[in-house]
Amino acid sequence: MTGGETVLTLRAPLRRRLDATGVAWAALPGLDAEGIGSQEVWVEGEGRAVLGDVFEVHGAPAPRVRLVGDLTLVDGIGAGLSGGDLVVDGDAGRYLGRDMRGGVIEVRGNADSHAGAAQPGAKRGMTGGEIVIRGSAGPQVGAGLRRGMIVVERDTGEATGRGMLAGTILVFGSVGPDPGLWSKRGSIVAYGSLTPSAPYRYACTYRPPYLRVTLTYLKARHRVPVTPEQLAGHYRRYSGDLAELGAGEILAWIP
Amino acid sequence: MRVARVLITARTPWWAREAALKMTGFATSVIGCKCEAGIERELAPSETPDGRPGISVLLLTMAKDDLSKRLIERIGQTVLTCPTTSCFDGLPDAPDRVGVGSALRLFGDGFQGSKVIGGKRFWRIPVMEGEFLVEEKFGLQKGIGGGNFLILATSPDAALAAAEAGVEAIAPLQGVILPFPGGVVRSGSKVGSRRTKGMVASTNDAFCPTLRAVTTTALPETVNSVLEIVVDGLDARVVAQALRAGIDAACRDGIVGITAGNYGGKLGPHHFHLRQIMSPDGRAW
Repeated sequence: MTGGETVLTLRAPLRRRLDATGVAWAALPGLDAEGIGSQEVWVEGEGRAVLGDVFEVHGAPAPRVRLVGDLTLVDGIGAGLSGGDLVVDGDAGRYLGRDMRGGVIEVRGNADSHAGAAQPGAKRGMTGGEIVIRGSAGPQVGAGLRRGMIVVERDTGEATGRGMLAGTILVFGSVGPDPGLWSKRGSIVAYGSLTPSAPYRYACTYRPPYLRVTLTYLKARHRVPVTPEQLAGHYRRYSGDLAELGAGEILAWIP
Repeated sequence: MRVARVLITARTPWWAREAALKMTGFATSVIGCKCEAGIERELAPSETPDGRPGISVLLLTMAKDDLSKRLIERIGQTVLTCPTTSCFDGLPDAPDRVGVGSALRLFGDGFQGSKVIGGKRFWRIPVMEGEFLVEEKFGLQKGIGGGNFLILATSPDAALAAAEAGVEAIAPLQGVILPFPGGVVRSGSKVGSRRTKGMVASTNDAFCPTLRAVTTTALPETVNSVLEIVVDGLDARVVAQALRAGIDAACRDGIVGITAGNYGGKLGPHHFHLRQIMSPDGRAW
């Protein structure tokens, strides 16, 4: 055991993309090192492999799972997660938390595109749980988000929350172009620079009570560096996408 | 009885208290008010889900269904209407839960929305001021109503001073409320009525000094006034602690005796025997 966590350390820097969508992420806390090591992954251009070929496994079984290394080329980390804590001690690849239903994923570096997003052709992305990205997130973070919360402590790429159905995305840096396009419901909360998308209309400036609960929770549960000004501040509310249902919102904090 | 704990937060302690006072108004006894409610204590910002000052309220009813109705009525009419307030469940670990926000959301007329934060669902109801936030479900548990003691005094002034001291001693305790005005009852009742059929309760003539000569009195010769303190709480232990603290403080000059209304032991399953509570062993409650 390593402080109540299973640690998967990258054996060597990756040179090809690795698809880890097929790993039973929700079951990992209950598996021993052998069980984890035998989980199947797909290596681009090479085919089937197992986690044990790529990662050294220590401390299993344990309630928390931590991945160590530069995992920028590993896609689908935490796919289908339904509970427990998963930590990425580095950068993560595309489709982080794909089809996630519960639990928490913390990325201590950056995440590539489509974190928490719907897979290509699917109508909805993650349906529950929380993703906390300490760095930045690539394009289409939270695209098709159905439920759950995504926190990005730095910046996001273009089309943040594209086609959101519900849920919340909080961005503490700048938000990329075209946030919330095609969204039906859901909230994008911005603490840095943001240009509302065209089909969003300004509603009012106010203090959303639920944000106080959200920020208080994030500070206590995930140590997100929330300031007193953010907690007590005013927000500009934009409703949209008015070409869709229009029940979504962009909340832009006024420093 | 069944009890819920409601946390009301607001921009300032004053607004939280205003909402709490309205919510706990006309809630002295289940006999006439359908529920009993009171302010449990003030909450520091560090103790509330949204980091704002708050007030904790306990509300008790005889049955689970009643509790749900009373919470919806009272929160809907007094907290939702009060500027800057939000409303949260104060018994998050109670397995038994009733829908409150899930009913109040309908006031939003289709414009309401919900958020799941830390595994709990909250409803955002648009109002003219901005937005009202209320938790979807509230926990409930078995509670204790009607813990009481009577202060037998040589004069009305002595009775009032003793009752005030008792209330002051109970006020800091958590998990209990005193549902009557200022925590004190001057009109203790007996079960039923001598004259009027169907009356649930009528004046406790045995403890009325003015009736000493015309009824079977329970009052010693020197007693000229009696006041009662009624305690409701989350469990028997905290009610007993409150009774002990109140009695300790009420025993002062001008007090002839302390007793309790036991209603023939028919008020409920929990009996608080004052001699046991006040004995050294009773301090283990």
